[in-house]
Amino acid sequence: MLKIENLAVNYAGIKALRGVSLHVEPGELVALIGSNGSGKTSLLRAISGIVEPSEGNILIDGKRINDIPSHKRVALGLAHCPEARHVFAQQTIEDNLHLGAYLRYGKESKHQIQETLEEVYTIFPKLRERSKQQAGTLSGGEQQMLAIGRALMLKPKILMLDEPSMGLAPVIINEVFNVIEKLRQSKTTTILLVEQLAFMALKVADRGYVLEQGLVRIEGKAADLKGNPVVQEAYLGLAKK
Amino acid sequence: MVYALIAFGYNLTFSTSKTINFSLGNILMLGGVVGFSLYVDKNTGALLGIPFIVPIIGVLIAGVIVGAGVHKFAVQPSLKLKSEYTWVLATLAVGIILKNGVEQLWSTGDFKFPSPLGDNPIRFDNGVGIYPQEILIAIVSILIVVGVEVFKRKTIFGKAIQAVSEDRDTASLMGIPQQFVIRLSFMLSATIATVAGLLVAPLTFVSASMGTALGIKAYAVAIIGGLESGSGLLVGGLILGICEGLTAGYISSGYKEMPGFILLIIVILIKPNGLFGKKSIKKV
Repeated sequence: MLKIENLAVNYAGIKALRGVSLHVEPGELVALIGSNGSGKTSLLRAISGIVEPSEGNILIDGKRINDIPSHKRVALGLAHCPEARHVFAQQTIEDNLHLGAYLRYGKESKHQIQETLEEVYTIFPKLRERSKQQAGTLSGGEQQMLAIGRALMLKPKILMLDEPSMGLAPVIINEVFNVIEKLRQSKTTTILLVEQLAFMALKVADRGYVLEQGLVRIEGKAADLKGNPVVQEAYLGLAKK
Repeated sequence: MVYALIAFGYNLTFSTSKTINFSLGNILMLGGVVGFSLYVDKNTGALLGIPFIVPIIGVLIAGVIVGAGVHKFAVQPSLKLKSEYTWVLATLAVGIILKNGVEQLWSTGDFKFPSPLGDNPIRFDNGVGIYPQEILIAIVSILIVVGVEVFKRKTIFGKAIQAVSEDRDTASLMGIPQQFVIRLSFMLSATIATVAGLLVAPLTFVSASMGTALGIKAYAVAIIGGLESGSGLLVGGLILGICEGLTAGYISSGYKEMPGFILLIIVILIKPNGLFGKKSIKKV
């Protein structure tokens, strides 16, 4: 479904990605783990077209999308829930959700969009309670829920989540991951999850990739990665015995 | 009120692209000239006998074209450069080109634009008078500002404009075409300016220089009211208008232009965000 071939990204001479290849199959949840600065976010930003790769191909359903501008990639069913949430703070929660469905206006009836809105409210009941509130007044966890909900409003084929745990309290992180787990079980969308909390991510994922300094270091089934001594030592905080 | 309208035009492009179209004053002038040419015979000063709807449509079209042009040929190329404030000079240059162009091709003279509502002031018992055109300006200005604000809050396209002004990259992630939204904001603000030009023409005179001072004073209003606040601009426009009226009435009409700039300096010193400037709420 999503395929990355030999992707490289440079920021003013600094190599963030140095030839990354990976693939995500329909219905899968693939976790991308790695420490700060390993290139995880750059990869997602390249996929959604915010940064331009210097080399390599990005393919969706076998079609190369490198030259498609970022706002048109969304029309291919690619939803990107950005790092640090980036909700539209001055607009209401409901407006934020409507904006998530921006591309569906004009193509689908108001009724269909309303239906998705109801689905999102069912997943995140707190958002319904506060639907008329400004998004900037929400707590970090609630903003994360809103950012995920906003991405779901597109009814995406591929959902990319960038560090949904960032800056959140452990209880809230659990809540967020419960939702991700539920999304996976419902099989409504394919998910590419970027996360520093390797253990949490591998628990919900089917497969995983470990990024290190802009390269894929290890890849495999999530369960295998959890058992891999290198991963355990570097990312799961378990010492060698 | 016209100050408020132009200030509102500054506000529109500033919110989406963080740039200000400094040629707006001269675009207003263009609106006046286009409206005049479609309505009055320049040489005799007699009406052409064309219904007033024609100049209205004329200035709307002119506004859309000029707005799109300013963005495509002045602002967009400037923003691609590394140097940060090229757009200031680029839009100022557009203003000068417009002014000189009109002087060359049309005329350097001043022309009287007869108001379609009549040129006789409505007199009150105490001798205070008001032109019907002035009432029209107030009504149309409020309608435009309220209309645009409602459009921004209630329609999905308006929300998209707000999304672009808040966070351009994230707006792209929603599938919102940011360059198109920005160009639209330029077209809208230029159209507001040409309409404003048609509105003030009967009160001032139509000439190539009618927009210059207006554009600068509207900028003062924008700063006084707060560049990001629609209602603040209306209040700022009123404050400036009243100050000018009082200065002209009680001191001397020679000092009429002063209060705007004195106010501007005071506001910048005391409240740099403007009287109604929003404080940004942001959580990290």
